[in-house]
Amino acid sequence: MTARLILPRRKLLATAAATGLAAPFVARAQGKEPIKLGSALPLTGSQAGYGNDFAASWRMGVKDVNDAGGVNGRPFELITLDTQADPQLGINAANRYIQVEKLPMFFTAWSAVVKAQAPIANREKVLEINAGANSPEIATLGDFVYTTFPLADVDITKLAKYVFTTLGKKTAAVLYINNDTGIDAAKIYRDTFTEAGGKVVAFEAYDPKATEFTGMLLKARAANPEIVHIHGLTADTPQVIAQMRQLGMTQRVTSYSAAYNPKLLQQLGAAAEGLIVTSLAPGVNDNPNVGKFLERWKTEQNRVPNGLPYCQYQYDMVVFTKMLYEYVEKKGQPATGETLRDALLAIKEFELPMTGKMIIDGHRVNKPVYLLTVEKGAFVPLATL
Amino acid sequence: MFEPVILLQILWTGIATSAPFVLLTVGFSLTLKVTGLWNFAQSGQMAIAFYAMFFALHGLGLPLVAALALGGVLTCGAAWLIEVYGLQVFRDRGSDNLMFFIFTLILSEFIIYVITLIFGTEPETLYESILSPVDIVGGIAISDWDKTGVALAAFALAALYGFMRYTKEGQFLAAVSDNAKLAELYGISAQRAYRVTAVISGLFIVAAMYLIGSHGGVVPNSPLELVLSAVIGTLLGGIGRVFAAAWASIFLALIQSFSILFIGSRWQNLLLYGFLFATILLFPRGVRLSWGRR
Repeated sequence: MTARLILPRRKLLATAAATGLAAPFVARAQGKEPIKLGSALPLTGSQAGYGNDFAASWRMGVKDVNDAGGVNGRPFELITLDTQADPQLGINAANRYIQVEKLPMFFTAWSAVVKAQAPIANREKVLEINAGANSPEIATLGDFVYTTFPLADVDITKLAKYVFTTLGKKTAAVLYINNDTGIDAAKIYRDTFTEAGGKVVAFEAYDPKATEFTGMLLKARAANPEIVHIHGLTADTPQVIAQMRQLGMTQRVTSYSAAYNPKLLQQLGAAAEGLIVTSLAPGVNDNPNVGKFLERWKTEQNRVPNGLPYCQYQYDMVVFTKMLYEYVEKKGQPATGETLRDALLAIKEFELPMTGKMIIDGHRVNKPVYLLTVEKGAFVPLATL
Repeated sequence: MFEPVILLQILWTGIATSAPFVLLTVGFSLTLKVTGLWNFAQSGQMAIAFYAMFFALHGLGLPLVAALALGGVLTCGAAWLIEVYGLQVFRDRGSDNLMFFIFTLILSEFIIYVITLIFGTEPETLYESILSPVDIVGGIAISDWDKTGVALAAFALAALYGFMRYTKEGQFLAAVSDNAKLAELYGISAQRAYRVTAVISGLFIVAAMYLIGSHGGVVPNSPLELVLSAVIGTLLGGIGRVFAAAWASIFLALIQSFSILFIGSRWQNLLLYGFLFATILLFPRGVRLSWGRR
C-alpha cells in the first residue's frame, strides 16, 4: 500500500502522533506507476474524531484494492489532506490536489468544505466527489461536483415522514446547528413534516461554538413538541440532548447519521434511550461485509469506528475510483476530470462492498435509509425506509 | 416564554453557566491588576489544567481529588515558571508591553500545540457521562453541576476577598498593584507578589476548567476562546477592578441567556463581541457605577 498524509505544517506532528503515521510506509506492491488518490478530511480540530476514522477506512480500502492488484496492476497512492472541516483549508487542499499533485479527481466531505472547493473544481475541470457531506445544495454546485453520499433530502425527508406517519407525532421541534450542515437539513425536515400534516412548533438554530443551549431548549419546551429533531455535529449533539434531559424534556429525539456514534452513548447513558438516528449504509445484519469490516476495526484499531456508515462509504470510494479508472482505461482515454466524470455518468450503477448498490442519479444518489434506535445502551435496527 | 418559571429558569441557568467564566475572569483580572499584564499565557494554563485532570482521571485512573490536586500542582507550577523564567526576565530587560503580549500569546499557542500532540483534537470530557443529576425546585431544574459551579465560584470569590482584605500577603498584592516601586520602598517584594498572583490565578483556572470539563467537550483550542470571555469581563468590569469583573461576567452570561426571549439563539454569542466593541469604544476604563468599589 502506498499512502501519504499532508497537513498544514503546524498540525503535521500532531496528526502523525494521533494517527500513528509518524513513520511513512511505502509499499509499492505492483511496482507500476501509482494512481494518486486524494481525500480531503478533517484530521485535526473538533471533527477529527470522524475525520481520522474516515482516513483509516480509506487506508483499509486502498490496502485491499492494492492487494487485489490495483487498477490493472497500478496501485493507489493515498494522499490525505487535513481540512479541519474549515472551508479555507478545504480550498487549500483542493488547490494542492489540482496544482501540485495534478489529480484529475479528489474526494471530500463536510458541507461547508465541499461548497468552498466547488468553484475551483469547476474552473479547473477536476472531478470533486463528496463522500460524506449531506447539504442538499451540493447537488447544485456545478458540472464537476458529484456526490456518492446521499444528501439530506434523502434521509431527512424519509425520517420526517416516518415520524409523522409511523410514530404518529403531530408536533415537532427542530433544533439545528447554524452552518451548512444544519440549515438546509433543518428546512427539509420542517417542510416535509409540515407537508405531511404535522406542525413544527419550534425551529431554532444554535451557534456552532455554543456550549450552553438552555435558552433554546426552554423555547422548545414552552412549545411542547411531541418529538425533537436535532441536527448538529458530533461535538454538540450530545450536549444538546444532555441539557434537554436536565431541563426535564423527555420527548423522543431524532437525529441523523452524525449521531450514530458510540461515544454519544457513553456520554449520555440512559438519556440516549429512544434516540432515533439514520444510517445511509447497510448494517451488520444487512451485509456480511460490514461485520468483517467491524471485526477488522476491532483488530486493527481495537475499537469500532466513529460514524460506521460514513466509514463504509469511505472504504467503498476506493473501489468506486478503481471502477472509474478501469472504465477510462478500457476506453483508451486519459484519466481527466472530464473522462472520469463521463465514466461516472456512464457506469451509473456501482456495486460496492460495504454500502451495496449505488445508483448515480445526476448530481444525487438514492439509497435506502436505515433507521436505528437506542435500546438498552446500544443502537438496534428500527426500520428500513 | 415570559412565564415566571421560565424567566427564573433562565436566570438560574445564566448564573450557573457564568460560574466558570467568573473564575477565569477573576484570575485574568487579578493578574492584570497586580502585574499590569494582559497575560494570554493563561489560555495555555487552562489547557494544562484540563488535560492534567483528564489524564489523571482517564489515564491514571485516579480519584477526583487526586486529579484536582494534580491539575492544581501542574497549572500553578506552570504559572510560577512562566512568571519566574518568562515574565520576570522581560521585566529585568525593561521590555515594553508589546513584548509581554507577544510572549504570552506565543507561549499559550506553544502549550496548546504540545497538548494537541499528546492528546489529539477530539473533544474530551472529564467524566464519561456529561449528564448531571437534576432536582426540580419550584419548577426550576437545578443540576448538581449548577450547584457545584455556583458554590465553587462563590467560595473562591469569598476566599479571594478574605485573602486580599485580611491577610498581609493580600495587602501586599494590593500595594504592588497600586505602585510596585513605592511598595518595594516599604520592603514589599513585587516579585513575590507577582508569583503569589500567578499561583492564585492558577487555582482559579483549575476550578474553572473542572467545571467546563465536566459540563461538555473540551478541545486543546478551547482555551483560546475562553480567555476571550475573560478579557471581555475584565474590560467591562474595569481594569484593576477584580470583583467588578466577576459581576461583569455574570451580567454578560445573563444578557446572553435572557436574549433568547428576543433573538434567536444563534445570535447569542455575537452579543459578547458586541459588548466588547461597545466597551472598548465607550467605556475604555470599564463601566463604573457610582456605588462601584474595587
